[in-house]
Amino acid sequence: MSETRPGQERFVAPIDETPLRAIDAVNVDAVPENQWKEAWKRLRTSPLFWIATAILLVIALMIFFPSLFTSADPKSADLANSFEPARNGHPFGFTQQGADVWARTVHGARASVTIGLLTTILTAILGMITGAIAGFYGGFVDTLLSRFSDIFFSIPLLLACIVVISVLNNTFPDRGFWGSVIVVVAALALFAWPQITRQMRGAVLEIKNLEFVDAATAIGASKMKNLRRHIVPNALAPVIVASTISLGVFIVAETSLSFLGLGLPSNVVSWGNDISAAQNQVRSGQHLQVMFVPAAALAFTVLGFILLGEAVREALDPKARKK
Amino acid sequence: MWWYVGKRLLQTIPVFLGATLILFILLKLRPGDPILNLAGNKPVSQEVRDALAAQYHLDDPLFVQWLQFVKSAVTLDFGETFAGQPVFDLIKQTFPVTVVLAIMALAIDAILGIGLGTIAGLRRNGWFDSSVLVVSLALLSIPIFVLGFVMQLVFGVKLGWTSPTVGSNWSVGDLILPAIVLAIANFAYTIRLTRTSVAENLSADHVRTARAKGLSERLVVRNHVLRNSLVPVVTYIGINLGSLMAGAIITETIFNIPGVGNAAYTAIAKGETSTVVAIVTFMVMVYVLMSLLVDLIYAVLDPRIRYV
Amino acid sequence: MTTTPMGAAPLLEIQDLKVGFRAGKEILTAVDGASLTIYPGQTIAIVGESGSGKSTLAHAVIGLLPGNGTIQGGAITFEGTDISHADRKQIMALRGSSIGLVPQDPMSNLNPLWRVGTQIKEALVANGVAKGADADRRVVELLEEAGLPDAERRARQYPHEFSGGMRQRALIAMGLAARPKLLIADEPTSALDVTVQKQILDHLDSLTDTLGVAVMLITHDLGLAAERADHLVVMYRGKIVESGPAREILQHPEHPYTKRLVSKAPSLASQRLSSGAARAEVREQAVRTAAEIAEEIAHSEVALGEGREDIIVVENLTKVFTLRGARPWQKVDFAAVDDVSFRLRRGTTTAIVGESGSGKSTVARMVLDLLPPTAGNVVFDGKNLRDLTSKRERLRLRRQMQPVFQNPYASLDPLYSIYQSIEEPLRTHDVGSTKEREAKVRDLLDKVSLPTTVMSRYPGELSGGQRQRVAIARALALDPEVVICDEAVSALDVLVQAQILELLNDLQAELGLSYLFITHDLAVVRQIADDVLVMQNGKVVESATVAQVFDHPAEDYTRRLLDAIPGASIPLGS
Repeated sequence: MSETRPGQERFVAPIDETPLRAIDAVNVDAVPENQWKEAWKRLRTSPLFWIATAILLVIALMIFFPSLFTSADPKSADLANSFEPARNGHPFGFTQQGADVWARTVHGARASVTIGLLTTILTAILGMITGAIAGFYGGFVDTLLSRFSDIFFSIPLLLACIVVISVLNNTFPDRGFWGSVIVVVAALALFAWPQITRQMRGAVLEIKNLEFVDAATAIGASKMKNLRRHIVPNALAPVIVASTISLGVFIVAETSLSFLGLGLPSNVVSWGNDISAAQNQVRSGQHLQVMFVPAAALAFTVLGFILLGEAVREALDPKARKK
Repeated sequence: MWWYVGKRLLQTIPVFLGATLILFILLKLRPGDPILNLAGNKPVSQEVRDALAAQYHLDDPLFVQWLQFVKSAVTLDFGETFAGQPVFDLIKQTFPVTVVLAIMALAIDAILGIGLGTIAGLRRNGWFDSSVLVVSLALLSIPIFVLGFVMQLVFGVKLGWTSPTVGSNWSVGDLILPAIVLAIANFAYTIRLTRTSVAENLSADHVRTARAKGLSERLVVRNHVLRNSLVPVVTYIGINLGSLMAGAIITETIFNIPGVGNAAYTAIAKGETSTVVAIVTFMVMVYVLMSLLVDLIYAVLDPRIRYV
Repeated sequence: MTTTPMGAAPLLEIQDLKVGFRAGKEILTAVDGASLTIYPGQTIAIVGESGSGKSTLAHAVIGLLPGNGTIQGGAITFEGTDISHADRKQIMALRGSSIGLVPQDPMSNLNPLWRVGTQIKEALVANGVAKGADADRRVVELLEEAGLPDAERRARQYPHEFSGGMRQRALIAMGLAARPKLLIADEPTSALDVTVQKQILDHLDSLTDTLGVAVMLITHDLGLAAERADHLVVMYRGKIVESGPAREILQHPEHPYTKRLVSKAPSLASQRLSSGAARAEVREQAVRTAAEIAEEIAHSEVALGEGREDIIVVENLTKVFTLRGARPWQKVDFAAVDDVSFRLRRGTTTAIVGESGSGKSTVARMVLDLLPPTAGNVVFDGKNLRDLTSKRERLRLRRQMQPVFQNPYASLDPLYSIYQSIEEPLRTHDVGSTKEREAKVRDLLDKVSLPTTVMSRYPGELSGGQRQRVAIARALALDPEVVICDEAVSALDVLVQAQILELLNDLQAELGLSYLFITHDLAVVRQIADDVLVMQNGKVVESATVAQVFDHPAEDYTRRLLDAIPGASIPLGS
């Protein structure tokens, strides 16, 4: 058809309005960035991250330099001071036993956070190893490991810990501080690792089919080398997110266990013990600060970790990564 | 579809066996004379000893004992408490209120969680979304027992809207507050998950195609956004059941609800490990069955799963 | 193609349209002052590479810009009414019944949870065309109309049970369900095999002709556009750089960008002439260099192989996979590769061409020793791969044969810098000191025409074409003799693709490389290959030189493949 209609005549844009660029040129001026650097940049600009850091910094100070916060001795308890209200040097008064509420709270941070951290690390290690092996080798190994982790996953965390700890309580009645910590950490980790395994396995399954893994094999890397050098580093992101969030969960779990009488022994200064001991006060509606001060400290700490987990998740979110 | 069902059932069995094995091992790890433990640590005559040994198969090899354990669990024979009451009776007495509590909590969690999450997801990045995020994160960090105490104090003692404790003559109304406490502990996750799911689906390709067909926005949201977003949320709520059961122990203790959790707590306090294990075994069975149910619902919701 | 009388009024008029996207505080312009006209019943094509704004333009017409997109200026007039600032109700009324859309990716554009029939029924009900049982009947008719066999059964199935071509047909049925006057087809067949593509487009053509529907065809393929449309619009970076009658533009392109496209598009006739001669030159040079290398290898003790002319010989190669059958306990044997044999001569390129499911990639993986064959032999320079038992020998093989894969976004580890990615082979084989390795990396980057500053960058910052260059540099790090290109250019834009092909040719001449080139695009083969193997369903259908296959194809399937190359039949000006 050689006739053209109105609006469809031959048109050529003027060259100066539509200059051609070189095909596929590299932008030489930009600053190099990789996934971690980008994530860090996003993290730096996230308000959640800074709030979380502030909170956790305060808690860290409480743990390492309790004397910055209180000079009273958390363990010294004089019944004469039972339920005394706040006075000089004792901002929140005394517990039923006559110990300083604030001092106990400040010193209690150590036990709870230690347990949370140890459990997270142990869970992460167990979960990463099983998840990587299951995802990488696939087939029978995967089925075996997955069913195995399902077994532990199927028993709800707190219930399982209750059983384990009750049993161990009877077996090892005198444990001392570190003994108790080990028992609680082991019990928690034993039933919490499947969660991390799932994350890791999922990530490994996705990554092992990507072409750069094939390319590495074609270069001559062995399977193990591939796993170590290429797959695991790329699979870390979801594991980090899951671990950071579960830190808060573990701290709460420990206090729940203490509340049920299954956590740390009562002579250890911990938030769980304080809250547990203060149960009766609440029902009567009096002397509430005995419970609420440690409870607030607990909530504060957990909030810090949860916010951190959220900030990390947003920073590492692959969907946010596409510019 | 039925192959999927069969496969899932098959998978449940080893998981259940494994779980009972673990519990059995824990049971056996109790130190001391098992006969004394069974008899409540009171001295017994040789006759009674023999009778107990026979009843609990204590002379059989461990493997057989485990199978007995499994058999008893499946036949719902959980032995007796130290006080002589069959554990299963105890469970029968206490289970109903826990079930009602859990269902109420699940319902509140689902309705509030999905409802608020959907609105937040539809109005992404608005003030509603941000405030929902902040509030849910804050609620997540308050441990359930503190929350329980606070609510009990405020609504039970100070305001007197509900009775602070429940006791054995319970009614559904009494359970509302504890159910809310249980639900709050979880619904932060539900809200987040729903929100993310909805927001993702809103910008999905198939939603754009649905609009291109000329569908009204309401239809698009209902049929294409929500329907697709629900799938991960439903599975999540099912998995939540586990933490609900754990939470129940604490909530029941705080509000003095005569449920399974409370029974477990009493047993812990009295050192009756076998009773504790029995109760936990029962709850694990319930949980395993529930997650099977959830998986089946998932298959109904998502046709792609059925053929895997 | 067009049947409307000359004096008819335009159906759609776009005047000076500007579309922008909000990114933070800035606004990025995607469409910058575009104008075009479509008449009723006419098919026009909008051609451009990625980033040209063609899809954005199409989405603006139907009011489906993503959340942060806005129309910043200009007008869109449909049947005399300006719809560029129409409110939601107006746009909704238009969608489906006046303007229809056939979107690009058939998998993600169908809701996986609803049956296909239900989704088409939705379109009917929403536009008031039919309801209830009536609509169900109509759905089956529409599916049949779109060329879907066994339509009644298919309507009750879910999208994941359909093949790619079937899904596209379903989408076409959906787009035409309410009989719109204008159908926007956004790259409707890019995800499909070339023969399926031709079938579907032919069908779409006849359908829209019969129904008198105007079509706005969006595509990146100039040949396809010229074949299917009378009027062509070429877009570049948001602007329309040339438009007019399709044949004229192809035969006498005036804007430099259009000229580039026409000269580089592999499917067009222009390639027929220039590429044949260019290829012959490259091959001559490559064979000479390769022969010298062969001499060295014959006398080397370290190298694997004897320095033969047939550097790869594949004999009766077979690969059978055991899959799950219809019932979970049943097993089905599936022959992905069935008795394939060919030879690759030093310094030349053999292309393996086939559609999806032909087994070509599986052959490549077996040649690369990434997958063990079920039967048959792969012989590298006289050494059967099965006989390579020692780790040293296997590593040696890796040095002499390297791959370049298809997906530039997955072939480089995102956590490795460009330097690390290219250096990895040198490190794995313990070649040279750190300084020497760095020098080698620089040299390689130079060879692939990338600035050395790229070394400290990460893959996420590079474009697809740049990443492929890095992948090529990495493949060359160990000075291999053979490079296996598994769809190495398939994921790239036309002009970038042409650049990479040129690079591959240059490298072949300079280094005496031998290529095994896997591709689904027969058009590209002319530029890069000397011998061709056509595969279908795991078997070799035809094996000949490039000239023979293109000029005198012996097999039916080969003819169909050639036929399906879009735009191949269009004669070009001198």
